[in-house]
Amino acid sequence: MPKVRDFELLVILAILRQGDQSYANRVREDLEANAERRVTRGALYRTLDRLEVKGFIRWELEPSEVPERGGHPMRRLEVTADGLAAARSQGLVLQRFFAGLELGGTGRSGE
Amino acid sequence: MVGDLLEDFYNVLARKGFWRAHAWFWWQALWLGLGYCVFRFWQPLEHAARALEIERMLEALSPQGLMSDVRHAVRALRKDLGLVVFATLITGLGVGATTAVFSVMKPLLIEPLPFVESDRLVWIANQGDGGLSSGMSRTSNLRDFRELSTSFDGLAGYFAFFESYTLTGSGEPERLTGVAVTDDFLRVLGVEPMLGRGFTPEEGAILGSPAVILSHRLWERSFGGDRSIVGQSLTINGSPSVVAGVLPPSFDFASYFSPGSRVDLLTTFPVTDQTDAWGNTLSIIGRLAPEATLEGARAEMAVILEQLQGADPERWGLGAALTPLQRVISGEHRTSLLLLFAAAASVLLIVCVNLSSLLLSKGIRRRQEMFLRAALGAPRARLLRLLMTESLLLAGCGALLGVGLARLITSAVAGSSSVTIPLLSSVRVDFGALVFSCLVATGAGLAVGILPAIQASGVGSAGELRAAGRTLTSSRRSRWLREVLVVAEVAVACALLVVGALLIQSFTKLLAVDLGFQPDEVAAWPVDTGQEFETYGERVAFLDSLLEAADAVPGVSSVGLVDAIPLGSSRLWGFGVAGRELERDEELAMFPHVVSDRYLETMGISLLAGRGFTDADTQETEPVILINETAANSVFPGQEAIGQALLFRDVKLRIVGIVADVKHLALEMGSGPEVYLPVAQTGDYGSLDLVVRSELPLDAIRGGVAAAIRSVDPSMPTHDVRTMAHVVDQSVSPRRFTLTLLSGFAAVAVLLAALGIYGVLSYSVAERSREIAIRMALGESAQQVRGRVLARTLGLAGLGAVIGVFLSMAASRFAMAMLFGIGATDTGTLLTIPLLLLAVAALAGLLPALRASKVDALRVLQAP
Repeated sequence: MPKVRDFELLVILAILRQGDQSYANRVREDLEANAERRVTRGALYRTLDRLEVKGFIRWELEPSEVPERGGHPMRRLEVTADGLAAARSQGLVLQRFFAGLELGGTGRSGE
Repeated sequence: MVGDLLEDFYNVLARKGFWRAHAWFWWQALWLGLGYCVFRFWQPLEHAARALEIERMLEALSPQGLMSDVRHAVRALRKDLGLVVFATLITGLGVGATTAVFSVMKPLLIEPLPFVESDRLVWIANQGDGGLSSGMSRTSNLRDFRELSTSFDGLAGYFAFFESYTLTGSGEPERLTGVAVTDDFLRVLGVEPMLGRGFTPEEGAILGSPAVILSHRLWERSFGGDRSIVGQSLTINGSPSVVAGVLPPSFDFASYFSPGSRVDLLTTFPVTDQTDAWGNTLSIIGRLAPEATLEGARAEMAVILEQLQGADPERWGLGAALTPLQRVISGEHRTSLLLLFAAAASVLLIVCVNLSSLLLSKGIRRRQEMFLRAALGAPRARLLRLLMTESLLLAGCGALLGVGLARLITSAVAGSSSVTIPLLSSVRVDFGALVFSCLVATGAGLAVGILPAIQASGVGSAGELRAAGRTLTSSRRSRWLREVLVVAEVAVACALLVVGALLIQSFTKLLAVDLGFQPDEVAAWPVDTGQEFETYGERVAFLDSLLEAADAVPGVSSVGLVDAIPLGSSRLWGFGVAGRELERDEELAMFPHVVSDRYLETMGISLLAGRGFTDADTQETEPVILINETAANSVFPGQEAIGQALLFRDVKLRIVGIVADVKHLALEMGSGPEVYLPVAQTGDYGSLDLVVRSELPLDAIRGGVAAAIRSVDPSMPTHDVRTMAHVVDQSVSPRRFTLTLLSGFAAVAVLLAALGIYGVLSYSVAERSREIAIRMALGESAQQVRGRVLARTLGLAGLGAVIGVFLSMAASRFAMAMLFGIGATDTGTLLTIPLLLLAVAALAGLLPALRASKVDALRVLQAP
């Protein structure tokens, strides 16, 4: 199975967090608000494309009623079983490494 | 994606307002489009490369790879020196042309004027939005605007009639040109003197202590850059003046406000009733207050004007038209510079097209090499980069040459005092221009290289290689591509030629205009004396002796005096007509000239009726006046003008003659009503010129006339003589400047287009020699082969010319303002130029056609 990168993992999780409202704009807002990073449109779309190529997500176009969109359809994103599995295994890796660590002040300050 | 963007756009719109939201939208759309397209384009390559050999791909993108590319490109180019020289030459031309025009444009159109917050400076013309020479105002207007307006931080003015001063006391007497400015002039413009200070209000008062501010050039030339000059006293016009300061080198008054002339010093102009009585003589500049806008100031001015006119219905010459100063200074040159830039850019475009088509044909020859590289494992990206490096290197060589060329052009332009375009002296190839040329060259390199590189690097199967190895035939698509390029090139060249031809015709028509005077064989010396005279009679006697002395110089056939030589400055006086009741604002505004009795004869202005002035017209006899034809027809339509009288300041001036119209302002402009007054009867002039007609060349009489002048006034400088031919020439100089550059560009364009046609056809003949040989073996005659090649040529050129005609119709509409005596869609030009281009194309196609018909069928078909 292809590897999933850091940002890709965040995107997959963000898609999951939106439930049945997982549209690109919502995902981007969530990432900007909660991932403490700026997400440019281009980077997000590129990542979505890449995830789709890897088979981690898929999407379907829905007609949109939102007047501002001027009739352009919306992309509803969905995480595939492979995507879920990849996210889960990545999560497990992280958990394994976090387990038993006291992060409060035990790290080297770098001085 | 578009939908997402639109959705967010409305959010931004609600938060940040219309303009910022739109800016945001296009910025996002641009980056999204660019970034995403690049990504989509790269992704398959990346995948393919990764699937094959990731390491080599990474190596291809590493800096070391880059150096090896450069090395390789140099090696490849060294093998083809002919190409390098040709490409460098034409790219150099293109980059040089655009950089030079960019440098000329930069100070005038791109950069703000070098004044503090120059965008707040406003030109306040009396009427209309004419250029620098029009719209002078009365001193009382400046005084009242200062008092009533709140939109301005400061309002200043300068006396539009430059005066000449004689500097004595240190060696040779020197004639200086000075301009009188109000005491706060430098402060309003935001110019700090380099040394010393600006004028004080005491110095600006009517009989204040005389002070001058020296131009940087005068300070260096005549005072050797002596810093202690400030505070010292100079003898100017025979009386002492204190040097208040020295202007910085960046502020050359003339290059902004009177291009083509010279201003050596600033003196003070008092804002008083006396100077107000001189009429419309002042050019007013204001600095908008920080919170004021141009629109607000305009509205306020409208109210002030109404108020002033209401308070004094008799008041005349009241008006205020506000224009940003930069617009006024760049004024009429804007169109011509933009046109030149478009022309230079077109040349560059043709250069790119030519080079691109050259590299295309070269690329086909290199297919074998590319295939080999691909077979040995070079990814396509690497091949692309390799080929792009080559074209960028070529463009780099061209840029070096181009910058050199641009430096040559700009230094020639900046050093010429005969072109009257503002700020020309500050034109140079500076850092900005270097950056510009680098950008242009890089852009050109990329544009030139991308098509050939994509085509050459896209090598296919081994079968293709075999085919390529045997016949070197390019695909149908690549031939089509090259032909499209030729058509484009011909179209652009056609448009340039049409505009160039229209401008040339305008120029010749302009030069053929009847000036109303004969400029050849006439030279003019400024003769303002610093001497004081008790009475006006003494001054007249002095002038008479000056005329007499000059007339006695061998070779001089006629001499005269005038206060405003044609194509110099302009002024208007209001006249009344004796026996007619005229309201104050109905007065006839006419251009007065104060002249001596033989001026008309010397200048070659013809007398249409009546008599000219004689030495019998003196202060004791009846005041007389001459009027020009336009004045006679407009003031006395259908009547006999001679014998009638005009009124000026309640003095009756008897009309004794009618003279022909003279082009006094510009060759393009018709003559307005003008009058001539005898110098023996009026002292109302600023400065005088001695005009001398002689069949001998100027150098033969220069010494004699100078000696004659000095015999009358030893302190009078005599070196600044001009010929009238030069004055005429200077007045058409901006037009000549545009024309010279533009015809140069057009010529280069045609040459390059011809080369392009030649290149494409000879290549296509060479690569199709096999086909031609088969055709000839099957019985086609040499003549038929020639005919086919020529027909192809004319077809391509014809299509290009047709597109070019449409292009040029759009372009010449843009150039309309610069045309004179010819329409923008002049049928003759629009028909002739395409035919000319077709002829050039036929010539360019002739050689390939001949070569095609001489193909040796047997040899070609036997070749392996």
